[in-house]
This record gives sequence, C-alpha cells and structure tokens, in this order.
Amino acid sequence: MEPRLDHIDENEVLRYLQYHGPVTSHEILSDVARCSGQILDTARPRAVWRIFDWDPDRPLPGTDFTPGGQDIRRLLKTCSQVILFGATLGAEVDGLLRRAQIRSMADAVILDCCASAAVENVCDNLCADLAASLPGYLTDRFSPGYGDFPFAQQPEFCRVLDMSRRIGVNLTPGGLMIPQKTVTALLGRSDRPQPRRSRCESCGMHETCEFRKEGASCEN
Amino acid sequence: MKTNAVTILDGAMGTMLQAAGLPVGALPELWNLTNPETVAAIQRQYVEAGSNVIYANTFGANRLKAAKSGHSPAELIAGGIRAARAAAGDAPVKVALDIGPIGQLLEPLGNLTFDEAYDIFREMVTAGEAAGADLVVFETMSDLTEVKAAVLAAKEHTRLPIWVTMTFEATSRTFVGVTVPAMALTLTGLGVDALGFNCSLGPEELLPMAEELRRWTHLPLILKPNAGLPDPATGAYTITPEEFAEAMEQALNLGVGILGGCCGTRPDFIAALSRRCGDQIPGSRPAPERHGVCSATCVTELNGVRVIGERINPTGKKRFQQALRERDLNYILQRGMEQQEAGAEILDVNVGLPGIDEPEMMTAVVKSLQSVVELPLQIDSSDPAAIEAGLRACTGKAIVNSVNGNRETLDAILPLCKKYGAAVVGLCMDHGGIPQTAEARIEIAERILGAALEYGIPREDVFIDCLTLTVSAQQEQAIETLKAVRYVTDVLGLHTVLGVSNISFGLPAREHITVSFLTQAMTAGLDLPIVNPNQAAVMDAVASFRVLSCQDRDSERYIARFADAAASPAPQPQAGASMTMEAAILKGLGQETAALARQALETMTELDVVNGLLIPALDLVGEKYERQEIFLPQLINAANAACQGFDVVKESIARKGQGSVSRGKILLATVQGDIHDIGKNIVKVVLENYGYTVVDLGRDVPVETVVEAAVREDIRLVGLSALMTTTVASMAETIRALRESGHDCRIMVGGAVLTPEYAAEIGADYYAKDAKQSADIAREVFGQ
Repeated sequence: MEPRLDHIDENEVLRYLQYHGPVTSHEILSDVARCSGQILDTARPRAVWRIFDWDPDRPLPGTDFTPGGQDIRRLLKTCSQVILFGATLGAEVDGLLRRAQIRSMADAVILDCCASAAVENVCDNLCADLAASLPGYLTDRFSPGYGDFPFAQQPEFCRVLDMSRRIGVNLTPGGLMIPQKTVTALLGRSDRPQPRRSRCESCGMHETCEFRKEGASCEN
Repeated sequence: MKTNAVTILDGAMGTMLQAAGLPVGALPELWNLTNPETVAAIQRQYVEAGSNVIYANTFGANRLKAAKSGHSPAELIAGGIRAARAAAGDAPVKVALDIGPIGQLLEPLGNLTFDEAYDIFREMVTAGEAAGADLVVFETMSDLTEVKAAVLAAKEHTRLPIWVTMTFEATSRTFVGVTVPAMALTLTGLGVDALGFNCSLGPEELLPMAEELRRWTHLPLILKPNAGLPDPATGAYTITPEEFAEAMEQALNLGVGILGGCCGTRPDFIAALSRRCGDQIPGSRPAPERHGVCSATCVTELNGVRVIGERINPTGKKRFQQALRERDLNYILQRGMEQQEAGAEILDVNVGLPGIDEPEMMTAVVKSLQSVVELPLQIDSSDPAAIEAGLRACTGKAIVNSVNGNRETLDAILPLCKKYGAAVVGLCMDHGGIPQTAEARIEIAERILGAALEYGIPREDVFIDCLTLTVSAQQEQAIETLKAVRYVTDVLGLHTVLGVSNISFGLPAREHITVSFLTQAMTAGLDLPIVNPNQAAVMDAVASFRVLSCQDRDSERYIARFADAAASPAPQPQAGASMTMEAAILKGLGQETAALARQALETMTELDVVNGLLIPALDLVGEKYERQEIFLPQLINAANAACQGFDVVKESIARKGQGSVSRGKILLATVQGDIHDIGKNIVKVVLENYGYTVVDLGRDVPVETVVEAAVREDIRLVGLSALMTTTVASMAETIRALRESGHDCRIMVGGAVLTPEYAAEIGADYYAKDAKQSADIAREVFGQ
C-alpha cells in the first residue's frame, strides 16, 4: 500500500484561497492548474500507519500512549481497533514553497493552497486503501487538535509511529510538524457501518477557516 | 581498528529493548540507569554473536530528548558506556558512543540553529569521551547540515575517531534530499574516519548505493541495514538471517569493510553475518574516480566546463550595495535563483563592502542562499574571518576564492580549506603584483600547489586562476594568460578558474571580446569560467564549446537549449502608449510597470512617480480586493508588478545617491515558536510595494529580539503574526514586553486563528484580517 497523490481538487484550492461563488477569472484557474502541476511533480508523498487493538481505558498496546478526549471515545465507540497514520508531502514541497516566496508571492499563496489540498488527497487515498484492505468499516479520520483531542499529544503520536525515522517528519519545540504539509490522524475500525460527519467538520482547514470565523461555511 | 580486516558491528538495539518490554515511544536511554543489566545482556548477545564494535545505548541521549527524563545527557551517556563495557567484558571489543539525529530539524527546514545543534552534540561527545568511549558514531542522519555540526563538535572537542552513517530512501536520497555523492564529498572533506549507510532499507536495496559511494571516496565504508523492509501494519521485518548475511557478503566484495545491522537485526542476524563474513578480507577498491564540489542536494562534478556565476558581488553594482546595506536578502537570493535558472553550476558569493560586518553578512547570505538555491557555493573574500564564517555556514563542499602566492595568505587560509574540506582557488600573483609572463605566473601556481599539498589538501581540490587582465590596457597579456592556462591544465593537471568578463573592460560592444576570449580560454583548458550566466551569448559559447569538445554527447543539451529558444521568442516588454500604469499594475505586468516607471522618471521626480502613479494604482487594486472583484493572488501579483516599478525608482535614487522615498518603517515578525510565516511574508510584499520600509525579523522570533529591534530602529508600527493557537500565547507575551519597554508604537496582529476580539484581548491595537488591511492600518498610523 504505497501512499498516492493523484489529484488536487481545484474547488478545494479555490476555497482555501477564499473564493466565494462562481469563479469568473480564467487566469486564476490556469494559475491553479499550473501550481497544482508543480505540486504533483514535486511532492514525494510518504506515509506510515499502524493498527492497534482499541481499549478506551488502556494505552495503545505496546506503547504508553493514550489518545485523549471524549470525542475520540465517541468516534471509536463501536470499534475494536484503531489505526494511527501520518502522511506528508515531504521536504521537497517545503523547498518549493520557500523558493516560490522569493520568486513570486502570488504563486506561493496558490502553491500553498494546492499543497494543502494535495496532502488531503494523500490522506483520502490512504484511508480508501485501508478501507479496501481491512475487514469491517472505518470511521472518519480525526487529528490531534480537533475537538477535545489535545494538540499537545502530537509529540507522542509522532513517536509511536516513529515518524522521524520512517517518513522524515519532525516536530518543532512548539509541536508543529515539519515538513509543513503533514497530517497525523487516527481512525477506528468497526464491524458496524460508521456515520460520516459533515464535510465542514472533517475539513483540514476546520480550525483556521476564514469562512467559519465569519459564521458561515464555504458551501454557502 | 584495522582496515584490511572486516569489522563486525552489532544489530538492532531498539528492536531488542522493545522485545524486553520497553514501551514504544519511551526514552530507551533511561534504561541505562534503571535497567542496566537488561541493556548489557542484549549487548552481550551481540558480542557473543561476533561483534567487534558495539554501539552504546546512547542514540537519543541529547538534552532535548532527555529533558523530561530527570537525567542529564552526561548521566545517560555514562550509564550507556558503562553497560556496553560490562557487556564487552574481556573480549577485544570496542565501544562506540552512538549518536542519532537531535530530533528537531535545523534551519532552514526547522528552527534549530546550527550553533544550538553544535552545542547539543558538543555536550554529548565530551560526555562520551569522558565516559571512555573508543569512538563516536553519528548514525541515522538525514541532514548534512546536522552531520556537519556533529562532526565539527567532535573534532573541536574530542580526539575520538568519527564514523558517520546516513539514512537513504529507495530514491538514493535522504528525507531532506541529500545525495550519496554529496554525502561522500562533504564527509571526506570534513575528514571523518569512515562513512556509509544505516537503517532505511534492507541490504539488497542499499548495495547499489554502496557501489556509488565508493566511486566518490577513499575512506573506509560502513553498511548497517535493516532486516529487509518492515510490514507497515505491524512494523515487523521480513528477511532471514541467512538472506541478510548473503546480501552483506556482496557488500564485502565491493570493499565495504565495516558491517552490521539496524532495525530488526536480532543477534542471530549478526551471528550469521559474522559466520559468513567475519574471516574474510574486504574486496579491493579502485581509487575513487569522481570528484567535484557540492551542496547537500546537488553535486557539480568537475569533468568538463562548469560555469561559476559572478552576480552575487557588490563591486560596481549600486543596487547590490544598497541591498547589502539595507540587509535586503531577498534581492540577493533572487540574484542566486536567476543564475541557477540561467545555467550556472556554482555560485560565487562576495559580500565585501565597507561598513558591512563581512563575516556576519557572509553567514547570513550563505545560509539564506542554501535555503532556496541548490548550487554549490564559492566563498569569495580576502578576509579569513569572512571565509571561515562562510565555510562554517555552508553545507556541502565549497570552494574558497581565494589565496595567492604570499606565504602569509597561504598560511592563513589553507588551514581553513583543509578543516572544512573546501577546494581552493589560487591566484597567480604575490607581493610582486601580477607577473607579466606566463612562466612567472606558472611558478606562483606551483608554489600555491606545493603549499596546499603540505596542508593536506588533495591536488584535485586546487584550482588555479591565471588572471584575466584588461585587453584595452595591457593588450599582450591575453596571450600570456592563455599560455599559463594551457600549462596549468596540461602539465600541472589542475582545474583552472578565470574571471572572464574583465578582459573587455573599457571597450565598446564588450560581449564580442568576452565571448571570444572565453572560447579561446576554454580551448586552452579553462574549465571553471566565472561569468555572468544571464548573458545569453556567454552561455551560448559554453553550450557550443561543450558540443565541439565532446562534453555534450550527441549535442543533447545544446539541442534542448535552442529547441526551447526557437519555439518561443522572448516577448520584449514595451511601455506602449496604450497601457497606463494603473492597468499594468492591475494586470500584474511587472516588466510593463517598470518600463512605464522609467518613462515617467524622464519627466517626474521619484517621489511623484510613487505618490502620483504607483500608490493610486495600488489603491485601486485594494478597492477591488475589498469588493471581492479580485482575490489574494491577483492582489499579490499587482503588488509584485508595483514592486518592479518601485525597483526602478529605487535604482534611480541609488544612482543619484539620495535618501529613500519610504513612507514609514514597519517591523514584522512571526512570533516565537511559530514557523509558518507565509502570511507574514505576504504582508511584507504588500507593505513594501505600498512604499513602506519593512524590517523583517523572520520567523520564530524571540520576544526580546522584537523589543530590541523596535527600540533600536525607532519603529512606530509593529506587525506580529502567529498561525497556531499554541503560539498566540507567545504573541501576547511579545505585546506585553513591547508595552513594558515603554517604547511608543502601535501593534497590529494577524494570523489564521486570530479574531478581532482575541486581538483586542491580548492588547493589540489593530487586527489585520489580511495584507490589504495591514496596508490600511499603516496608512492610518503614518498618514498619507
């Protein structure tokens, strides 16, 4: 199961760029297409994942890590196993974004949004591949910092997956992941079909969304 | 350690500790103090399996990882060495201080500085030596900058032999893009004792990389692979001990003499390895056939003409001098990127200017350049302190430009080249000036070569500059230069460097003379011309020469170069009467804006061009953005276009030596703990293009640095950015410190997680929801 980046969703990029409504400018679409191409060429997606038996009252087996918060317990209510994963576009994309900021800040902004959409695509593909290869049903994915799953657990999360050694992801003292376009998340495996949350709640920009800040959503 | 016999290393420590009950994610080094018998028992199994060198359980015993353990690195390391010694007992086994990556990335990838990394390693290696380690091994490394900090710390503070192994992916690069040849050139230059690979992959996958490595270094080679590839779901490894040993024997036959195992290699793997390879002699190795210079990710092999770009140099360039004085690193980086795109393969870096702290500036420029440009660098200075600063900051194998035939210069600079593993350019001149004959220049070249060899610098790292004199002043000297180049190439067998453009100084239509001389010099043997790669005619001459000298096989590169050119002739921007400044900026047409600004300057003052044309056009752009007729990329494009207009104005001012047209000075910083600075950089571009001077302190900026700069630069408007909820706290702290300092300034804040309410709560004067609003705030603070 190799990590795959096969598509960057144009509408998602436009949403990240805070476009409202229909796009009338042909130029922005061609810029997004050009920048998407650069990200697809540059990114070297890497992923690491592990499956653990799930018991909400105990650390994950073989580790001293207990994912915190009530939201996870609710999400995994009917699950017997939990899958932890980390996925990244790699340091190559950080380099591209750095260079773009010197050459053209406009491109840098678009590239940054394309890269955000790209890492979501890698996560979508990984979750789809996991769903296809594992018996039962998978929940939505849930990341440190979402709901009451403490962002402060990011270091432990990364250590359990040995992310530094396995996919080259390291943390700053403040708990930020490098390369920047990296996602960690967990999802449950259950024998029962799982509900989907709203698209807004499961969006990668959920915590920092300008639409949400204004009390709206990108869908209206 | 004998080099003619095989050395057997140990196997997996982490795997064994976890099997013994260490939870995944816990600090393994703590067991040196709490469970030393378990640690020693594991290592004893490796000794019994045949290991001649065992790695102490000290991989992550650095001050950052150990912070929460309640123990110092020195305690954990002493415990680790003690356990390993106990495991070795009376057996003739060496104990290595084992050091892995710090766990936080260095700049520019992360925010750990080189000096901090150096100090973390210094603490570890001195503790290891004091505890009685026989050698130090830096392993599982991805970043060559981190390795350099580690090796320098070990060399400058201990006498321990140094081994380095790095971790590569199947693409033959590390996670951060380091190539095998770059590792080889850099570490051979730094003078480690052995180098190779560990972890990452199984032995089969690493064999081709070992084969590549031996082409680039004469040093002993190490291979410590995993037991194949892990099962992603469980993390378990797959191949058998016998399969492992069989693959390792192939490495042995390639001349790899130091063999062991990493993740998944239990003692039975090492026993199988020892049985199969322990009594053999490593295969013989031919002398390394390839050499060159490099950055971490790009090697410029010296086997043909390689263009050195000359544009990072303030000599005779008013705009570049202004950039240095204003510390406008972006301007310098753009010159670097431009040359890389134009085909330069090495960049000369000269930042010497009266009134500039050259060593400090050299460090800053080298670091910044290496964050955006892949090319190897040539550190160009006459000040040994600036040269050392450049070499220390530079990752990879650099070139030093230059020494000359004077003994005191040679004695000051050659030891630096040796220490940092740099190649060196020797100028054929001395106390007596530039000799007038080829013979006399050759004599100096031989003197420089002799001195370099005395200092232990290999012959292939000595490049000779036979010096280009201006043909309009000393016409007969061109022939002498060419004669000397031919001799140095053919008889001394050294690479030669020449600053080519100087030949045509003072003549009209200089390009003809420059290109003609360049071609003759390359024919005489010149392989490292220092030129302006942005001059198409110069690069065309190089492309042609490569075809005619068989360096460009089947004319592939030549055809590619001109196929593109034929397909799309570059459009010539014209400031046509049809386009207004407003339209040019709105459409983001930079060259047109610049042309229009030049045209306007014929009849208007600089200030009028700014206030009458550029700013009103930007205002119109801003209004359209507010009305959501255009979006962030177009806003930035427009600002960029305006920037080219401002550049024309700045150049005009620099030419006249007048003051600036700045509308006010603004300080920007991404607060401590935060490294996401794209938002701040957008604001910077927009504010600069609205005519403000921006003092950009960068990202992850400590509170006191912001306060100091605000006071020192007498800043009236401070802009702070923070992306994460976790770093807004440090934004609040920065605001508090600014207020407590008593410095009178306004503060605006921005960032994805901020809201106007939150901004007010932490004491900011303004919340800027985007770059446009920051320009509005600036206007309010500074007035029109």
